[in-house]
Amino acid sequence: MLEILDPTHGEDPEPFTRAPRLAALDGAVVGVVSNGKQGTGPFFAALAEALRRRGAAEVDVVVKANYSAPAERAVMDRAARWHALVSGIGD
Amino acid sequence: MSTSLTSQLQSARHQVADDADLQAWLRERGWTDGLPVVPPTPERVASFLEWAVLPPDHLVGIEPVRGRAVTAEKVAINAVLAGCSPAQFPVIVTAVTALLADEFALHGPTASTGGAGILLVVNGPARAEAGMTGTFSALGAGDPAATVIARAVRLVLANVLDVRPGGIDRSTLGHPGKLGFCVAEDEEHSPWPALAADRLGLAATPGTGSDVSAVTALAAMGPRQIMNEWTTEPEEILDTFAAEMRANMRHYSIWGGDYALIIPPQLRDHLAAAGWSRADIQRYIHERARINRSEWAEVGKGSVVMDKGDRSYAALPSADDLLVIAAGGPAGGFGAVIPPWLGTKSRAVTVPVGACVNC
Repeated sequence: MLEILDPTHGEDPEPFTRAPRLAALDGAVVGVVSNGKQGTGPFFAALAEALRRRGAAEVDVVVKANYSAPAERAVMDRAARWHALVSGIGD
Repeated sequence: MSTSLTSQLQSARHQVADDADLQAWLRERGWTDGLPVVPPTPERVASFLEWAVLPPDHLVGIEPVRGRAVTAEKVAINAVLAGCSPAQFPVIVTAVTALLADEFALHGPTASTGGAGILLVVNGPARAEAGMTGTFSALGAGDPAATVIARAVRLVLANVLDVRPGGIDRSTLGHPGKLGFCVAEDEEHSPWPALAADRLGLAATPGTGSDVSAVTALAAMGPRQIMNEWTTEPEEILDTFAAEMRANMRHYSIWGGDYALIIPPQLRDHLAAAGWSRADIQRYIHERARINRSEWAEVGKGSVVMDKGDRSYAALPSADDLLVIAAGGPAGGFGAVIPPWLGTKSRAVTVPVGACVNC
């Protein structure tokens, strides 16, 4: 027999869980986080408008300073008042 | 071998029947790159840590997006897998340290559809200790030590940080440098101080080899080879390099960042004979490697020129952002331009061997 050491991180690959899905948008504050790429501008503007039409009380669109880095502290602080968050990549 | 060190190793231990079983076992789990590996036994891993005088739980760094800690033990396990020797381990630890520096912004270049590789440039006595050269086929697997060092870093990214194609790595194409992109600077035959010495602000005598071992990491696209064997004039030689950089700005990305030039001996000799320093080269290239955005209309990108056609873009935000690297075989008027992954979203990082960043 050969004994070897595990080369991987050995951690749970998904240590985070998503917040529960909202039952309805009525009165909700929805955050939209853009990675800052040019193509996200019109896409997220249209998304924000669609969310408002469907009853969101407020849509808070924020843009990360660096699409390669985590969201800045200021973005995370704003997220504390959001009921839901839309995030993704855009190019 | 210290039995106390093997007992300190925290990684899970697996039992496999024999070496053949090991190869299949690892491949089935996606823990190798498909090439044969060396079994990472506790004794081998401990010998790497002993060579570098690092405890297993030494924190090499923390991946900045997911906050995942990378320990010396995990780097050593993957270095063994890659076929490295203990003497190469300090270079690998330093390379991983550089990747985990904030300004390298590792997640971007390893996750981007752009498909960057990681260029590693090794300077100082660590080159000889690791058995590295920097001459023939410097960018083409001409140096077995560089090949396994780059492989070790790639396995760390895959196994410790989940940077696997289709997972974290979303590369559309990637490039062959993703298989291994590591070069030792040929300091002993260079008219300039070692790259790392210049970047770290250390004194160094050209042509003697620097005293300080260091690794420079650059999130890099594939090398673009140039040829100019028909002049000895520095300006004309460098005009060829600058033209290739402008071509990259037209065809790939207009954004300026850290570019690397690999300059082999034949062209180096002409530059040295004319008394051109690394700083002279950097200043000249900084001025020449520029395009107007209107040029994008000539290469099918007219839709994004908009009202910025007259705006001039420099390949280098500042002259210091050019990495001038001496490497390559003795004959041939060739050179290479290695562009950055994407502008200044990731910056080149130089770390001395034995240094610690964010730990």
